Amino acid sequence: MTFEIPKVSYTGKIREIPLGREGKTVIVGGESCYPFHLFEGEMPNPPKIAMEVYDSEPEDWPETAIEPFADVIKEPAAWARKCVDTYGAEMIALQLAGTDPNDKDLSADEAAKITKEVSDAVDVPMIVLGCSNVEKDTDVLKAVCEVCDGRNLIIGPVAEGNYRAIGATAIGYKHTVVASTPIDINLAKQLNILLGNLNVPDEKIIIDPSTGALGYGLEYCYSVMERIRMAALIQEDERLQFPIISNLAREVWKTKEVKVPESEAPLLGDIKKRGILIEALTAQCVLFAGADILVMRHPEAISLVKESIKDLMTGK
Amino acid sequence: MSKIICSAAIRGAHKIVGMAEEKYEEALKKWGTDQEIGFPNTTYYLPIIYGMLGIPVETLGDVRQILDKCKELVPPPVSDKVWLPYLAPALEAGMATYFAEEIIEAILYLEQPDFYTKAEDPLPDNIWLGAADDVIMRKRGVEFVDGTAPGFAAILGAAPSVEIAAKIAIELQEKNLYVFMCGDHEGKTMSEQLIEAEVQIGWPTRLVSFGPSYRAAVFAIGFATRVAMSFGGIKPGDFKGNLYYNKDRVFAFAMPLGTVTDKWYANAAGAINWGFPTIADTPIPEILPTGICTYEHVVSNIPHDKIVQKAIEVRGLKVSVTKVDITMSYGPAFEGERIRKDDLYFECGGGRTLGVELTVSKDMSEVEDGKVEMIGPDLDQVKEGDKLPFAMLIEVAGRKMQSDFEPILERQIHHLVNYVQGIMHIGQRNIMWIRVGKAAVEKGFLLQHLGTVMHAKYHQDFGGIVDKVQVKIYTEEEKVKEILAQAKRVYKERDERVEGMTDETEETYYSCTLCQSFAPSHVCIITPERVGMCGAYNWLDCKASFEINPTGPNQPITKGECTEPLLGRWKGITDFVNKASRQKVEQVSAYSLMDFPMTACGCFECVATILPMCNGIMVVNRDSRGMTPCGMKFTTLAGMVGGGNQTPGFLGVSKHYICSSKFLLAEGGLKRVVWLPKMLKEEIAERMKPICEKMGITNFADMIADDTVGTTEEEILPFLEEKGHPALTMDPLM
Repeated sequence: MTFEIPKVSYTGKIREIPLGREGKTVIVGGESCYPFHLFEGEMPNPPKIAMEVYDSEPEDWPETAIEPFADVIKEPAAWARKCVDTYGAEMIALQLAGTDPNDKDLSADEAAKITKEVSDAVDVPMIVLGCSNVEKDTDVLKAVCEVCDGRNLIIGPVAEGNYRAIGATAIGYKHTVVASTPIDINLAKQLNILLGNLNVPDEKIIIDPSTGALGYGLEYCYSVMERIRMAALIQEDERLQFPIISNLAREVWKTKEVKVPESEAPLLGDIKKRGILIEALTAQCVLFAGADILVMRHPEAISLVKESIKDLMTGK
Repeated sequence: MSKIICSAAIRGAHKIVGMAEEKYEEALKKWGTDQEIGFPNTTYYLPIIYGMLGIPVETLGDVRQILDKCKELVPPPVSDKVWLPYLAPALEAGMATYFAEEIIEAILYLEQPDFYTKAEDPLPDNIWLGAADDVIMRKRGVEFVDGTAPGFAAILGAAPSVEIAAKIAIELQEKNLYVFMCGDHEGKTMSEQLIEAEVQIGWPTRLVSFGPSYRAAVFAIGFATRVAMSFGGIKPGDFKGNLYYNKDRVFAFAMPLGTVTDKWYANAAGAINWGFPTIADTPIPEILPTGICTYEHVVSNIPHDKIVQKAIEVRGLKVSVTKVDITMSYGPAFEGERIRKDDLYFECGGGRTLGVELTVSKDMSEVEDGKVEMIGPDLDQVKEGDKLPFAMLIEVAGRKMQSDFEPILERQIHHLVNYVQGIMHIGQRNIMWIRVGKAAVEKGFLLQHLGTVMHAKYHQDFGGIVDKVQVKIYTEEEKVKEILAQAKRVYKERDERVEGMTDETEETYYSCTLCQSFAPSHVCIITPERVGMCGAYNWLDCKASFEINPTGPNQPITKGECTEPLLGRWKGITDFVNKASRQKVEQVSAYSLMDFPMTACGCFECVATILPMCNGIMVVNRDSRGMTPCGMKFTTLAGMVGGGNQTPGFLGVSKHYICSSKFLLAEGGLKRVVWLPKMLKEEIAERMKPICEKMGITNFADMIADDTVGTTEEEILPFLEEKGHPALTMDPLM
């Protein structure tokens, strides 16, 4: 008797979404099978990694994360260029963390100016993420949309509380949106329906069902992503057939485990290796859950994950 | 549609199209066909023409075809002998009017380039702003879509006095509406009146002086048309999409102040195409039936102090209340607070005093939004430890309000009041109980604030069905008694209404997938006779929930053909559950414990399971702590039932469902019930009576064993035998 690998029969397909400006677009999505189940279907566009750039100098990063960017950490545009030129970033994720009213409270205009500078400095697709404060993000992202008219940024988080304002602005200036929901498949679906009702085109939506770091609720997030993918691929749920983005780096690099020095916690081992591995492993997990875009920070973690994607895509 | 209005609109359209024709001929002679024309700095050409017809008018030569189109659209003048409904021809005349006006205005830009300022603000020597360029449109237009500015009032003419003009403008500003001003009445314009009243005008204050002629109305409509193309993704030429988009999203209306001429009528008729009604201050004929606009089309003779409120009602604009304006902190974090004896300052209801809360719906004209009345002493007039009788009467009105939704709104009082820091609320209806802590009183809390809370939260959470809310709070014994009597009548009617509904009388049932976040494959099916197992959602709740949140967790399901009447299976339900559970649940019975029972989330009020030895069913409620005859306590049973799994023999049910005539029909209904905890039996005793009568065993309740009889099957079986419980002689359960 010969052994046959049991195969899942898929009825759905993830939408292909072109990101970035014309002539320089990168396509994500398009899967017709579970992540890396290449024996069952296709993944025409391997998952992409976006490298993080911050709007202002980060204050609470461990040395490990700062070191690769120490020379550019005060200048977002130079930082972005370094990511692309030195580390070969496929995308940039500009984190407008400094706009948080509880942080530096940068104004919408300042944030828009920084975004424009970074956007002028690189031509890879650019993700621009606000501080997750519904009201502030509305002001900031509207201004960002305006100054980068027509560049097809990927802007977010677009949440239930501000989807109309940001969604409509994104339509007006032709950007893609990141629909963000708190770890719940039905809320994810609902927001996609609402964006559709607002006339945001389907090829302009990426979803972010939330990510936790390894050891910080990752398994819950993993399940939700997995279920979204199952609904999309085998349960004909067409309002969930969108590529998934996982904004994981900021979760990883704020955990205690990447910051405690070895002297205080000898069992945790080398602090540098530890941070890189936690980031890489978190990324690896969400890849298996179905993420299409990984927002990552450390170049060494990125190269580990890139290698892994390559291996998985070639069936090694 | 009023014949007078239609005739006038068609006459007006003829005049305006004729004028456009003249202007065009003149311009053609002067500049020739290749002369570029258009509004400044826009990529939308002449926006109404571009939006509706998809034709980019770039040169004078392009105008010809538009004028031909206008002539095609404008119907012949109405004769006295014709008595047809005139809606369609008048709307077409209105549309042609706008095309013609865009042409006239475009030629005006050519003839007098400085006629309009082309800026955001008026200049010292020229207050007329003219068409908004794309920079202004993008900056301002998005506000129409995201709700920061719900829409605009297109005002034609002028108010009778400078003061009235200012008052209307400010009132509209307060509602966050843009005011687009054009035209004159007896030589006066609203824009000039506002300047005279020292009200600052211009785009930044949302008081936009488009132009001195009635024709400048075309800039307002053009603006709306561009908004749909820019922010709604509507393609040029998709006139249907554009008009619907505006009807559904841009809350605009025309407000003619002064004599309505034929040309004004033509513009007003045009605006109806976009779903924008007309609210006039003069006694012109009205068009009240709904159709193109969401509600009425033309409402007239409205006094100036009511005109803004009326316009908002007619256009169906929702009031948005962003903040609960009380001295205390407010939010879900305070819901679980307990006020213990030592912290207690004041209490009412809860058996200590009379207490009642009631929400009823009224006619729109009977409710004054935001009015909160306190009748009787408030907390600043009582001492620590005092008690007072209490009644809260909330009266709501709304275009989409149904009396069926009253109990749903009323039930929200519990958690909405609990959200106030320092306040504890328990129960509902006339068993409500409020405790106010000392800390709350120190911070200045008054009972009256509960009215403020309810007004704000009803608007915020139920804006879909509620347009107006007023609240009366009573602490005088006599008044409270009156309200209590009224409430009892209302409760009785409501209960009868709910009892009158059966699963057979309704074709639509509802789903509830609220709990899928933790029980991914669970789908609750809620029918009139089977309340959700949490007890929190009945069929009416689901109906309202769907009205408020059409994309939410409660979706209507057409039940379809009934395949198994006894088990409670319908084709439509099966298909829905299959899909919504993502193929995890293939079949579900609404009335069976044994045969594909409904899945459960984790929030069920009670668990039903079988007692094989007694050939019966037991039900245990969540509050019951003790052992049960099946050998498991509630907590253990809950683990067997929850999580979205089908476990034949175990079922999550609500207390209400136990007394439904559809309760476990497949297993024989209530007759099968052999054991209930005493507390549960007492709780449902009243509602059990009619069912017992129906089955012809009036003393059935006495036959059911409870925890005082025993908590093992061996203990209760002799009791059942002694009482002659019918389950013992029914068909075997297994």
